[in-house]
Amino acid sequence: MTTSLFPWITNGPLIVVQVMSGLSVGMFLFLLSVGMSLIFGVTRIVNLAHGSFYMVGAYLMAALIELLPGNPLSFWIALLLAPIGVAILGVVIEITLLRRVYRRDPMMQLILTFALILIIGTLVLLVWGPDNKSVERPEALAGSVRILGQPFPSYYLLVLGLSPLVAVGLWLMFYRTRWGMLVRAATVDREMLGALGVDVSRLYTQVFAFGSWLAGLGGALAAPTVAVALGMDADVLINALVVVVIGGLGSFAGTLISALVVGELQSFGILIFPGVSIVLPFALMAAVLMIRPWGLLGEPEE
Amino acid sequence: MAAATGDREEIVLETQDLRKHFGGVRAVNGVDLTIPYGDLRAIIGPNGAGKTTLFNLITGDLRHESGRVSFRGEEISRLSPDKVCRRGIGRTFQIASVFRRLTVIENVQTALLSHHRRHYNLFADAARLYRDRALTLLDRVGLREQAGKPGGILSHGDQRRLELAIALASEPRLLMLDEPTAGMAPNERHTLMALVARIAADTGLTVLFTEHDMDVVFAVARRITVMHQGCVLAEGTPQEIRRDPEVHRIYLGYTKAR
Amino acid sequence: MARSTVMLAAALAIALVLPLVLSAFYVVLLIEIAVAALFATAFNLLMGFGGMVSFGHAAYFALGAYAAALLAQKAEWPMLAAFAAAPLVAAFGALVFGFFIVRLTHTYFAMLSLAFAQILYTIIFKWTSLTGGDNGLLNVWPPAFLRSVTAYYYFTLLVIGVCFLALHAIVNSPFGYTLKAIRENPRRARFIGVNVRRHQLCAFVLSGFFSGVAGAVFAFHNGSVFPDFAFFTKSFEPLVVVLLGGMQSFYGPLAGAFGFKVMEWLISRWAPIYWPLFLGAILIVVIVVLPQGFVGLFERRAWRLRPVTGKK
Repeated sequence: MTTSLFPWITNGPLIVVQVMSGLSVGMFLFLLSVGMSLIFGVTRIVNLAHGSFYMVGAYLMAALIELLPGNPLSFWIALLLAPIGVAILGVVIEITLLRRVYRRDPMMQLILTFALILIIGTLVLLVWGPDNKSVERPEALAGSVRILGQPFPSYYLLVLGLSPLVAVGLWLMFYRTRWGMLVRAATVDREMLGALGVDVSRLYTQVFAFGSWLAGLGGALAAPTVAVALGMDADVLINALVVVVIGGLGSFAGTLISALVVGELQSFGILIFPGVSIVLPFALMAAVLMIRPWGLLGEPEE
Repeated sequence: MAAATGDREEIVLETQDLRKHFGGVRAVNGVDLTIPYGDLRAIIGPNGAGKTTLFNLITGDLRHESGRVSFRGEEISRLSPDKVCRRGIGRTFQIASVFRRLTVIENVQTALLSHHRRHYNLFADAARLYRDRALTLLDRVGLREQAGKPGGILSHGDQRRLELAIALASEPRLLMLDEPTAGMAPNERHTLMALVARIAADTGLTVLFTEHDMDVVFAVARRITVMHQGCVLAEGTPQEIRRDPEVHRIYLGYTKAR
Repeated sequence: MARSTVMLAAALAIALVLPLVLSAFYVVLLIEIAVAALFATAFNLLMGFGGMVSFGHAAYFALGAYAAALLAQKAEWPMLAAFAAAPLVAAFGALVFGFFIVRLTHTYFAMLSLAFAQILYTIIFKWTSLTGGDNGLLNVWPPAFLRSVTAYYYFTLLVIGVCFLALHAIVNSPFGYTLKAIRENPRRARFIGVNVRRHQLCAFVLSGFFSGVAGAVFAFHNGSVFPDFAFFTKSFEPLVVVLLGGMQSFYGPLAGAFGFKVMEWLISRWAPIYWPLFLGAILIVVIVVLPQGFVGLFERRAWRLRPVTGKK
C-alpha cells in the first residue's frame, strides 16, 4: 500500500538527495529568518521589510554580475558586495526612520515596516525595471554531481557547505565575542545595558545592519536558483514569517530548527502532495500555534 | 437589599493544599484556607508572601500544580476566569483596572450586560440597557455625579470605587479585593473599606481582601490570615493575631502601611 | 446626536442626487469610494473598536469577490443569489482563519493574519482550473437592469447603506460595548464573565462578513476578479483609510475613503507606478507625525486620560 503511494520510499539514494536539497532550502530560509529574529530579539521590532532586503540582495547580485561580465570571479565578488549593499540600505532606514519609533506602540512599528515594503518595492521597480533578471551560476558550480547515483545540483553543495559555516559563525559570534554578549544582553534587558554605559542606539544600528546583511546574503545566494523578480519580497516574507513564528520570535535555535523543518517540508511536500505542497508550512504553523502560541522556543509577548 | 438567607455555617470558599511555583520559587506552598459565609477576611503578609499569587490561583488566572479550590461546595480548580466570575466570585486588581475609555456608567453597564448574558446581542441600543441599575450601583459607591466621564480620568481613589461597582454588578457571593486601598490616603482607605463592610453586611456578601495597612485591617476584618513565604503562618481573630508572637516576629517593622 | 442625523440625512440626499449631475466617470469613482468605505469600516470594527490590527483583511474582500464571481459564472446562480451568498463564504473564511489568529495578540496576530491572507492569494493564484489563476475571472456582470452605471450606483448605495446601518447598530449594541471593553482591558473583561477569545472571534467573523460584502459589490462593478484582490497590498487600503480618517469615530473611515480614493485617482492619472510608493509614504508620514501613536488616536481632545500606574 505505502509503496504505491510513495514509490520513492524504498529509493534510499533519492531520499538522501531530497533531504539534502531540503537542507539547502532550509538554509536559505534560515539566513533570511535569523536576521529577522535577531532584529526582533534586540529591538523588539518585527521587520516586515526583511523580504524586501532579500529581494534587493538578489537584484544587487544580478546587477553586479552584469557590471563585471566575463570575469570568472565576478560571481564571488558580487556575492561579497551585494549583502554589504543591503546592509547599507538597512543602516539608512534604521537611522532615518526606525529610530523615531522605538518607543512607540508595536503596532505603529509594524505598520511602518509594512509601509517600507511598498517603498522599497517601487524603488526596485524604478531602478531595475519590471522584467525578471537571471543570475548564472558560477562555472565551477554550474553542473550537477552524483550523490549515491542521484543527480544533485553542484550549486546546492555550495549552499550546504556555506551554511553550517554561517550557522557556526553566528553561534561563535553570539556566544564567544564581546559584541555577541552585548547583543544577547540587549535581548534580555536593554535598559540595564544602557545604564552600564553601553551605547544602545549604536548597538541597535549594528544589529539592524547585521540582520539586513544576512537577508542580503540569503538573497544573493538564492539568486541563481530562483527568478529574480518583483513579488519575490512577498513570497519570501511569508516564508520567513512562517519560519519565525514556528520557531519563536527571537530564538536562534528555534529559527534554525524551524527553517530546516520547513525546508524539508517543502522538499518532500512536492513529492507527496504536489498540488497542495505550498500550504503545508502554513498547516504546520497553524498546528504549532495551537499547541504553543509563541512558537516552539519563543517567549510570550509582554 | 436584604441579607441573603443561607446556612450561617456555609463555607463559601475553601482551598486545600494549594501549590504554585515559578522556577525555583515556591510562591504558594500548601495553602489551606476556609472562608465561611459572611466573613470579612484579611490576608496579610510581607511582600512576596504569595498573596496575589493565591488570589490568581483561586480566580483561575494561574494554573496551580496541586491542591483544590472549591466555591460553595463545588470545585472550581480548573475553571477559566470568566467561568469563575459566573459562578459568583467578583474581583478587583492590585492596579485599578477599569475600562478607561468607556464612560463610568458604560463601565458598569457593560458588566451588567455580561452578567445578564446579553453581551452577544447585536441590535439593542446598549446605552439604554440597565441604566437605572447602573446608576444605583454608582450611587452606592458614590460615583453618580461622574457617570458621564471616561473611566480613565477619574482620580485613583474613584477608579477603585468604580472597580468596586463593576465587581458588584456581577452580583457575586464572594468579593476578592487585591490591595484595594493601595495608593490611597489613610482616611480614604478607611472610607472605602467601611463602604465595603457596609455593602457586605447589606447584601450578605463574603469578602476576602489583601492589605498592608494594619489600621485598616484591624478596623474592618473579622478574621485575619497571615501568610509568609507561601504558607499560612497564623489565622484568627484580630485580637488573637495581635497577640501572636510568631506574627510579631515576622512583622517587626511592618506595623504601618507602605 | 441630532446634529449628526441631520448631517447624515443631508449627505444621503446629496448622494441620491449626484448621478444626475455628474458624469459616469465620477459616479464610478463614487461607487469605488463606497466600497472602500465599507471595507474600511468593517476593518475598523476590529481595529478601532476591537483593538485588533489585522494585516490580512484583503483575504475576506477577495473571498467575497471570488465567491460572488464563481457562483454567478460557474454555478450560474442568479446574480442576487450569488451576491447574498458571497459574504457568507467570506464569513466562513474569517471563522476558519480567525480561529487561529484570535488566539494570538498584537504582533503575532498581525503576522499570522498576513500569512493567512498570502496563503489564500497563493491558492487563488495556483488553482487555475477553478479561479482562472493569474487571468482571473472575467465577464462577471450584473443582470441587465443593474448594468448601467447609475443603476449600479443606486444598488451600491442601498447595499452599503444597509451595511452601515447594521455596523452602526453593532457598535452601539451590547456586543459592541463588550468588544470595546475587551479592547480596553481584556483581563477586566474576563472578570465580568466575558469569554474574550470567543467574543473576538465573533467580531472577526462579522468583520469578515462585511468585508465580503464590499468584495462582492466590487466584483460585479468591476466585471472581473483577480488574485491581487487578496494580495497584501490590498490589505493596506483599509489600514490607510482608517488611519487617515480616524478610528475614533464610526464615520472616520468613510471620510478617509473619500480622501484615499481621490488621491489614488489623482496619482494614478499622473504616474501609476508611484502609487505604492505614495501609499507607503503616507503611512510613514502619518505614523511619524502622530506622536501618541495608537493611543493618541483614540483620545478625544477634551479628555486627557490619567496614565495607568506602573506602565511605561
